[in-house]
Amino acid sequence: MIQVIARSIKRFPEIAAGVSFLVICVVFAILSNRFLTLSTWGEILATGAELGIIAVPVALLMISGNFDLSVGSTYALSGMVFIWALNSGLHPVISLIIAIASGAGVGFFNGTVVLKMHIHSFIVTLGVMMLLRGLLLVWTEGFPASVKGGKAAHPVLFGLLAGRIGRTPLRTSAIWFILTTAVLTFVLFNTRHGNWTFATGGDVESARDEGVLVDRVQLINFVIVGSMAAVSGLLEVGRMFSAFPTLGVGMELETIASAVIGGCLLTGGVGSVFGAFIGALLMSTVRIGLVLAGAPAYWYQAFIGLLVIIAVILRERMIKI
Amino acid sequence: MKEPIVRMVNIHKKFGEVQALKGVDLEVYPGEIVGLVGDNGAGKTTLAKILAGVYSPDRGEIYLDGEKVRFSSPNEARARGVGIVYQDTGLVPLMDITRNFFLGKEILKKIGPLKVLDKRKMKQEVKRALDKVGIASIRNIDEKVAFLSGGERQAIKIGRVLFFKARVVILDEPMRALSVKEVGKVLAVVERLKESQIAVVYITHNIFHIYRTADRFVILDKGIKVGEVRKEDITEEGLINIIRTGRMEAIKKTS
Repeated sequence: MIQVIARSIKRFPEIAAGVSFLVICVVFAILSNRFLTLSTWGEILATGAELGIIAVPVALLMISGNFDLSVGSTYALSGMVFIWALNSGLHPVISLIIAIASGAGVGFFNGTVVLKMHIHSFIVTLGVMMLLRGLLLVWTEGFPASVKGGKAAHPVLFGLLAGRIGRTPLRTSAIWFILTTAVLTFVLFNTRHGNWTFATGGDVESARDEGVLVDRVQLINFVIVGSMAAVSGLLEVGRMFSAFPTLGVGMELETIASAVIGGCLLTGGVGSVFGAFIGALLMSTVRIGLVLAGAPAYWYQAFIGLLVIIAVILRERMIKI
Repeated sequence: MKEPIVRMVNIHKKFGEVQALKGVDLEVYPGEIVGLVGDNGAGKTTLAKILAGVYSPDRGEIYLDGEKVRFSSPNEARARGVGIVYQDTGLVPLMDITRNFFLGKEILKKIGPLKVLDKRKMKQEVKRALDKVGIASIRNIDEKVAFLSGGERQAIKIGRVLFFKARVVILDEPMRALSVKEVGKVLAVVERLKESQIAVVYITHNIFHIYRTADRFVILDKGIKVGEVRKEDITEEGLINIIRTGRMEAIKKTS
């Protein structure tokens, strides 16, 4: 019996995350009668979406054997660039493209340095994280920025990014989150790029021997992560109409935590995009649920920390069976 | 006399200050198993990697079916029918058999503008290919390679080069770290290669693995070809003596 459970967890790494998610939902539902309402879930999905839309591609990158610690800084950069572009009077679509391009550029830079200089992605992206954050603070002098005219300035654009869906408390960002997960799940399991992603992270030498273009695979994944971190910054602006240079501090670790809870190994080769989806959702559920349950918000970090450790222990034990 | 499928002439290769190969010749005929033997550091693997397009020689020529070739990558060599099976690498343990089998050479199908993996076709092909090499022991092609034995892994790798139409197969120490039973399985696969008129270059320093199956031995020592000998003309002990002394005279003492 235990063997069967272990095997299925090994085959479907997201099962453990899914079960913990359900357990946590049940606990919060008992603790607070406001937990199972649409407005609560609107909030969970909205915060989950901004984290998850980065965490899901981060899972892809981790499967190919790399980290990206610069996503939090990229998220802030994108938001600030987007607002700057809008406020300079550029067309909203152009502003959007510039902001996403800034993220893609960061991803391309990360990937190029990692692959050409053969430096571990952990170090490279740590450097880029600090570099970008510093530059952002210099540029803004530490002040936040808001879209001139707020929501009314670009109602359609903001509505599409992270506005309410109809009259429900749900936001469109949730749709982008689900869509991103669906697309990347498809890529991972049904395309050559997905196959190569697993192979590169699993055994880079063997993959190269068999003709996998391992550098290209990793570079593409870095660019996807950078771009999606930028997209997440856009969602934040779509929700708040403002951004500040210290936005997303600590987010890089939350994305990694989501991916790990969802079944990614730090060493690459294993993981699940859908698992990271659940991981991100689980984290925002805990964040909102604790507030609803009346617990001090500080518990959030402690709780997530515990979850990550449990997830890793479970994974390690499963691999040995 | 058949034409050699591979002819390597006067191959030289230097790595920094180390002269790995000094004017080595090698000929291999279709349906022949050549044991490329020699002690550690003899240059066996370097010679094989030059043939497989991993390294390019500093000097010397390679002819394939009489035509001069120059491979700048393993993919080029593979496209011309030269496949290499390494001892340790070549499979990703965390991936299943089918995905490993077609790694880097996936079968794709078009769905509208998208190119996606044709998983069903790949599974069918893997089953067929593994039957052909005679490894019925593999129960489930969805199994991760990590759960397979060393012998099964080698068999899959050999099955793979066969499937991709290799006419020359280089096996680099395929039996290191295999149990006695497993060695038998891999040898059976090697014999099947011979039956299908494939030229096999078998690299090893343990001649007990290959003596029974090989037709001819080419002996290298410190980058120089000591000589070559047909199996009929030498005993196992004689061969070991040549490898140990690096001199062909050793034959006379034992035979």
